[in-house]
Parts: sequence; C-alpha cells; structure tokens
Amino acid sequence: MLLPESMSRVVIVGTKPRLDEAIEVFYDVQALHLIDHTTGADGISIGSPLPATSKASERLLKVRAMEKELAVGKTTDTAGVEAWDVQRQIASGGVENVESDILKTLDKRNDLNQQIAELNSKKKNLGILAKLPIDLEFYSGYSSIASIVGSVDSDPSPFLKSLPDAEYFVSFSKKEGGAVAAFVRASERDKTAAALSEFGFTEAAVPEGSGSPTAALSAAEQRLTALDAELKAIGNELDDHREKYKTFLRASDEELSIQINKGEVPLRIAVSDYSYILDAWVPAKKADSVKAEIESRLGRDVHVEIEETRGRNLHDEENAEERFKKTPTKQNNGLVAKEFEYAVSLVSVPKYQEIDPTILLTFFLPLFFGFMVGDCGYAIPFIILGAFGLKTTRHKDWRAIATVLFFGGIWAFLFGFFFFGEALGMHFVGVADELITAGGKEVSWDALLKVDFPAWFEGLLPEIVHNEHGVIVHHGVGKLVEVTFLLKISVYIGLIHLVLAYVCGILNKARQHGPKAALFEKGGWLIAFTGIVVLCYGLTRVLFDGDGFEGLTLYLVAVGGVLTLIGTVINFETEGAQAVIELPGLIGNVLSYARLAAIGMSKAGMALAFNYIVFGMIMGINTPDFHVSPIMLIIGLLMLGLLHLVVWILAILSAGLHALRLQFVEFMTRFFDGGGVKYEPLKIKREKTILHSEIKEV
Amino acid sequence: MAIETEAGLIAIGAGLAVGLAGIGSGLGEKDAAAAAIGAITEDPSVFGRALIFVVLPETIVIFGLVIAIMAFFVL
Repeated sequence: MLLPESMSRVVIVGTKPRLDEAIEVFYDVQALHLIDHTTGADGISIGSPLPATSKASERLLKVRAMEKELAVGKTTDTAGVEAWDVQRQIASGGVENVESDILKTLDKRNDLNQQIAELNSKKKNLGILAKLPIDLEFYSGYSSIASIVGSVDSDPSPFLKSLPDAEYFVSFSKKEGGAVAAFVRASERDKTAAALSEFGFTEAAVPEGSGSPTAALSAAEQRLTALDAELKAIGNELDDHREKYKTFLRASDEELSIQINKGEVPLRIAVSDYSYILDAWVPAKKADSVKAEIESRLGRDVHVEIEETRGRNLHDEENAEERFKKTPTKQNNGLVAKEFEYAVSLVSVPKYQEIDPTILLTFFLPLFFGFMVGDCGYAIPFIILGAFGLKTTRHKDWRAIATVLFFGGIWAFLFGFFFFGEALGMHFVGVADELITAGGKEVSWDALLKVDFPAWFEGLLPEIVHNEHGVIVHHGVGKLVEVTFLLKISVYIGLIHLVLAYVCGILNKARQHGPKAALFEKGGWLIAFTGIVVLCYGLTRVLFDGDGFEGLTLYLVAVGGVLTLIGTVINFETEGAQAVIELPGLIGNVLSYARLAAIGMSKAGMALAFNYIVFGMIMGINTPDFHVSPIMLIIGLLMLGLLHLVVWILAILSAGLHALRLQFVEFMTRFFDGGGVKYEPLKIKREKTILHSEIKEV
Repeated sequence: MAIETEAGLIAIGAGLAVGLAGIGSGLGEKDAAAAAIGAITEDPSVFGRALIFVVLPETIVIFGLVIAIMAFFVL
C-alpha cells in the first residue's frame, strides 16, 4: 500500500506486416508503458507512422477548425455515438461532406463581413462629404486641378484664404469638427495637403458616383441594414449547422485522435524492414497475463519476454541501461486515498523506489484541517459543500479541494463535538449560572435557547474541571481558555507526525541503499531529534515548573544531551557542519505545529467578537431571563449569518493552507524525494464514442 | 498597582512579540510570493513547491505567538 506497484520490463518482438493488428492488441491489454526507443548500438531506428495516419491528421485538422468556427468544445453537450458508426462515416468521407457544407456558409459569411467593412468606411467618408455643398461628380475629372477632401480638427479657412488660385469649401463647428474641400493647382496638391495637416487634416477618399453625398449616404445606410439582416440569417444557418453536426464533430474528433495516437506508436519503437521490437513496463502482477494475451492474439507472429522485475534498490537502477533506468510509478491507493494523489503530485510524483506519502496525507491532512476548524457549526457546511463538490465536479483541482473539505469537515465535526463541544464559537453547555455577562464573554447555546440539554447529551461532551478554588465545570475545551493545554497537544501531534516522517525516511533509505546507509543518512537525525525533544522537555521542567537539576529532570537532560550528541556525530559523517547548524531547526519544526492551536484560537477569537456584536450589542442579551424584540432578532440573525460566513471562508483559506503546509514542509521534506515518472499505459479513453462490445454488455 | 503594571507590561510584550514577528513574516513572504506567482505563471506544475517556499516564513509568526502565549500563561 505504501510503495508504488512493482514493475516488470518486457520486450516484445514481432513481424512488421502484422504491426497494425499488434498495436490494437497493445492498446487492448491496457498495461504497456512504452519505453521510447533510441537509435543506438543495435542500429535499428524508429519506425514511421502507419499509412492511414496522415489522412487522419488531415481530417482531424479540418474537424478542429470546424469545431472552432462553430464554437463546439469539450463542454458542449452532445450524445454518445457508437464507434463503428463514426468510423464508417469518416471512412465514407463524412468529414469532407460536412466541411463543404459548412465552408459554403462560412464563405458567404466572410464575403458579407468584407462588404460590410467596405460599406462602413464608405459611409464614414460620405459622412464627411455630406457636410459640404458639392455633388460627388465635381470632385474629379479635371486635368490641371486637384481636389483635397477630408476632415479637420480646427478651422483652416484663414490659411486657405491666403492661397492664390484656390477655391475652397469649409464646414466647421467646434463640437463636431469639420470638413474641408479645396481645389488647387495639380502641382500644388501635395504642398497644400502637408500644410493642412497642421489643422488636424485627415484625407478622405471620395467614393465613385454622382449626385449629392447625402443621398449616397442614405443609400449606403439602407444597403448596410440589408447586409446586416443577411449576416444574421447566416448566423442562424451556422447555428443550425452547429446543432446538426456537433455530435458528429465531437465523436469524429475523438475517434480521429485515437487513430492518430495508435498510428504514431511506431515512432516510439524500433522497426526494421521485417520486424519490430518494443520495450515496455508492465505491473509485475499483470506481466504473465499480458504476455499470454498478446501471444494468444498474435500467435506465431510475436514473441514476448519478461526481462526483469525491478527491485527497490537504487543500485539496480544505476546498473541498468540508460533508457531502462527510470521505472514508472503506478501509485497503489484505494478509492479515498486516490483523491489525495493530486495533493502529492503538487510537489512531485513519487519515485518508484520510495514510499508514496499519499496514504499518510489522506489521514493527516483532513485531521489537521479538522483540528484547526474544530467547530460543529462550521463543520456541517464543509461536509455538505465537500460532498456536493465530490458528486458534481470532475476537474482535479476542485475535486482535491472538495475531498479535503469533506473529510476535513467530518474531522472538524468530531473534534467540534467531542473535544471542543461547540458550534459557531459557542459552547453547547455554558458554565452554570454565569452564562451571559455584560462583557459577552460566555454565550452558550443552552442559555440562548433557554433549554437544558438532556444528561446523556452533556455526558457526550468532555468535562473540564477548572480552577483550584471553586469548581467550574466546562463542557468542552475552551479554545481561548485552555491555551497551554492546546499548545501541548499540538506539539505532541507534531512529535508523532515528525517521528513518522523520520521512520519513513529510514525505511526509504534502507530499501534503496541498505540499513547502514539508512542509519547514517536518516537514523542519525531521528536520534538527534529524539535527543533534542527529551532535552527540551527536561529544560522546560526547570524553566517553567521551577524544578531543580535533580532526580528525573537531571536524567532527562542528561539522556537528551547524550542522544543529541550521538545523533550529531552520526550526522557529521554524512552532512558535515550542517549536522550542527540544523539542530535548532529541529525545535523550530516542532514549534511549527503550534499553528494547529493558533489557527483554532484565531477562529475562536473572531467568533467570540462576532457573537458579542450580535448577542450582546444588537440583541442586548445580558441576563439569563432576556427578552429580544422580533425586529432585533431578525437583524441579529442576519448579521450572525454574515459574520460567521466571514469566519467560515477564512477557515478554508487558513486551515486548509496550513494543514497542507505542515504536510509539504514539515512532513514530506523529511523523506520524500519525488521526481518519479507517472505510469501511463497505452490505453484509449472514449467519452463520446462507444465501442459496440460495451453496448452489448449494457 | 504594581501587579497591574506588571500585567500591562506582559501584554505589551506579548503584543510586540506577535506584531513584530508578523511584520517579519510579511516581509519575507512578500518577496517569496511575488517570485512564486511569476514562476507559477510560467509553469503551473510548480504550484506545490512554490507554495512551500511562500509559506516558509510563516513559521516565524508562530514562534512569536508561542512566546506571547508563554508570556501570558506561563510567566
């Protein structure tokens, strides 16, 4: 369970004429993780794609282009189609037929878009010309006179007036800018245009035609309206195409991708003139059945040999041929733990030779999250949200979050009820007779609801007896009261967690390099860690409890000191000066778990303040026999929901992130190397197309 | 009076411990987070490792908190 699955390496040799068929078989067994062939000493090079592949790629390109045009994508809702049906349609030119159908419409649309763009620019120019009292035909047709027409930002009349031999028309208003038409000698044209640019002149092309520009403008507008209507009709036509072809497009996209994947297998294996050779990793427990199936389906045309079953010792890996060095990791987790694989993969994929931390994360991540939240009132929405997420979402990020929320919520409920005995920051059962104070320090559910919970209910909650003078009984651990107790618990949890990490590290090293290496590389740290912990425990007795250096305390300090020394000496062999430098870091690692209590405290502090705002300030509940007016009750409840929503959302962020951090930083860095290769067997995943045999089974 | 002053001093000390440690953590995380966001934009697969580096300085504020709690409850 802790280690990835054991892997065997197989070599498959077969005759080239039956390669197509063999590839189908390789995909059907769903267990071969191909080892890419590199042209080496054997002199055999990789093969070329199967003949049908290039046609399939071409078709896939067309299908993808059409999907893009019609906005058909992964999220489009389409029905399943039988694979043989899609294959038949593709083979009989289905893709090409659909393409010609859609292309016709698309061409029409492009034409229209172009016409509309041209008309729009013509309309803009006519808009400028319409301001001037000249008909269109008068702008051109002269031999020695040139016309300059365009828009201006400021009034150019004074300048134009100064020009000799020029006729000009200007229409200008400060608000809308202006239009100018100047008729000058052909030789003066460029000079005049350059001079006009000082007035913000932009030249406009004069459209062909005759008559007044205003009339031409309204004609252009009419034409534009007509074209827009046509474009809309084409849009509808495309929508029809989308409805008609989306199922075929999605199905053929999938089918063609599968064909291409299969067709490209020869690129990854060695192929000679008459035969092919392929190396692959197979899970050891499946190796024999895979061999049997391949041989039974391809008969005398194939030979399968199981070369080795890779051990966990790293020397095996070092001695292997370069391309056989890395063994793929097939994580070996159950249904629940599988959901946490993603969290581990955020750091890295585990190596084949090391412990897969997933199962440990499955336990500790939600546990820490639950301990930090520790409140029934927040736990129940977490459970509901998590369950809803697990049921609906397929995206791996969201699934990982939903998993943590669901299981973390369950832990939070357990801690919230049986340990802290509270919901929404309030204990179920308050301290007798001083439940509600003006300071709002203690508000409890039984006082608010004016009920006495039955004895069996109170019996479920932990009883904390306080204070040496009077007996004050708390039902549930107060997050802001029993602070030292919670800190101690956090540190103890941390100790267990860290020792577990060191043990995993020792197991890893023992497996990879042997027990001696394990002692020197990880064992020393465990000894030093134990020593530091014992030493610190002894010292706290002296510093905080006021014990003298005698009896048990003396022994603790002495044993701790000696263990630390032994550990450091062992570490010095492998790590040098770092063995000493990192010693204080060990204390830091343990104290880091204080966040388990600290996050809980911060939540409790906020909840306390918010509850005081709602019950103390808004509802005015100060005495046990309180009375609240209905309006204040409604306002108070609304505020209660809103404020606790803030705490709840912060709980996701802080508790979630810190729980994850404790796993990643404190826990996994102790033993986890990562850098493994994920096991990815040749396998087809069909979503939109259904194999005929699968239908029969249904 | 003397006891009140003492309690007040402890409270100030505790506040300083958490507050200053918080500022320190914040300064540390500022740089790490900026760099991490850059790295994640380039390659989303480094998210986990980037997160580790970003939250590393956060331990400092926990130390401050531990000291503050000790000041209140143990001293």
